[in-house]
Amino acid sequence: MSMHSSAGRTRRVVAVMTAALAFSLAACDSDNSTTGPNNTTPPVTRSFNQVQRLGNPLVSEVFLSKKDHPFHGSIGPADDAASFGATVKGFVAAFRPQATTLQNTLASVLLPDMLIVQTDKAASTAGWLTWALANGYGGRKLTDDVVDTGLSAIFSDLLDPTQSVCKPGALPLCTDNVGSHSTFSATFPYLAAPK
Amino acid sequence: MPSRFPGLGRRAAIALTAAVLVAAAGIGVARASDHQDNPLVELNPAMDMTDVYAFPGSSPDRIVLVMNSWAFITPSQASTTTFDPNLLYQFKIDNTGDAKEDRVIQVLFKGTGASQTVEVRGPVAPPVVGAMNNTVSISQAVISGPINQTLGTSTGMQVFAGVREDPFFIDLEQFFRIVPDRKPSTGQLSQLPDAPSASSFRAAGSAVDFVKGFNVLSIVIELPASQLTAGGNAKIGVWGTISR
Repeated sequence: MSMHSSAGRTRRVVAVMTAALAFSLAACDSDNSTTGPNNTTPPVTRSFNQVQRLGNPLVSEVFLSKKDHPFHGSIGPADDAASFGATVKGFVAAFRPQATTLQNTLASVLLPDMLIVQTDKAASTAGWLTWALANGYGGRKLTDDVVDTGLSAIFSDLLDPTQSVCKPGALPLCTDNVGSHSTFSATFPYLAAPK
Repeated sequence: MPSRFPGLGRRAAIALTAAVLVAAAGIGVARASDHQDNPLVELNPAMDMTDVYAFPGSSPDRIVLVMNSWAFITPSQASTTTFDPNLLYQFKIDNTGDAKEDRVIQVLFKGTGASQTVEVRGPVAPPVVGAMNNTVSISQAVISGPINQTLGTSTGMQVFAGVREDPFFIDLEQFFRIVPDRKPSTGQLSQLPDAPSASSFRAAGSAVDFVKGFNVLSIVIELPASQLTAGGNAKIGVWGTISR
């Protein structure tokens, strides 16, 4: 029975993450959104409304339910803790209810939803969440395996041994076992030429 | 069609179902996962921000900011997909620890197609803080020029805006095998079994990187980090926004 319930919990957890990741990988392929040339220079200033926001990878997609995404996209990070703090903790609690340390840690590290960069730290320490985990540069590198990092943070004993599901970077749920497919340039603009 | 996705097709062949789906994919690959979190984004892929990066540049005192948008541009679409000149793309930087932007870098585009040009202003204090945004004055210093070219100087700000290979990677298909109730309703991934057909991610030799072979529209900006920090506080928060 315990195995059954564990499997069920695992499925639920991954269900949420999967859906979320699907959103992030959104697959919209119509390429006719721009209907014509716009060669006019805006007069002094023009007003816009924010429709998309992204700081940390996977955060909104994994932790926030579908219905919250437009709201998340329309506010700034200053409102994140009040708006989504309980949601993030609740997401973790859904499958590791006793891991309160983990719940609080993830909520405090990921919200407000910004890529934190400690610009005075060594470049060699750059990488997603290294500012929090290792007092490093932080930010996010092109080669960072943020899926594995995120899965390991949520499911492994990396941040909290309580009710962990797997070892960091290990199956069944702490890695998706794919790595970077790109050959990045050492110089600007760094990203690989299009396929 | 498989020739358009050589890597994807080769790896997918490991799993029979995947192979069938990819063989039937074509342009439909890009419809594989419905972006249903936001109707605006679903209708306008130009608004779909996929990833933001921030990492050290050509020297330790320089920082690179990257914003990618427009998921799943196929190789055949790579030369014709350009930014939306009606949108405002921004990097926002908090340098006081209150999660409110103290500096913004605003990116606007003119025209469409191969002759599209980009204009970058900032980093400057935002005219308005928050989700309602005004463009900064056009009198602000600007780096402008054609897309798909490196603009600016290697000692000041450098700018590249154009199509690049999508650097993101994930075995999305296995996610849906583990939890099929969240799979998309259209596209080939929707054809995966309705009942769970996996309880683990795949072994290294079997996992499939679903993003491999596709492109995105990238805005890459490198500049001295000192242009983003203030008051001796070396810690900043970075996020990207797209506004219409």
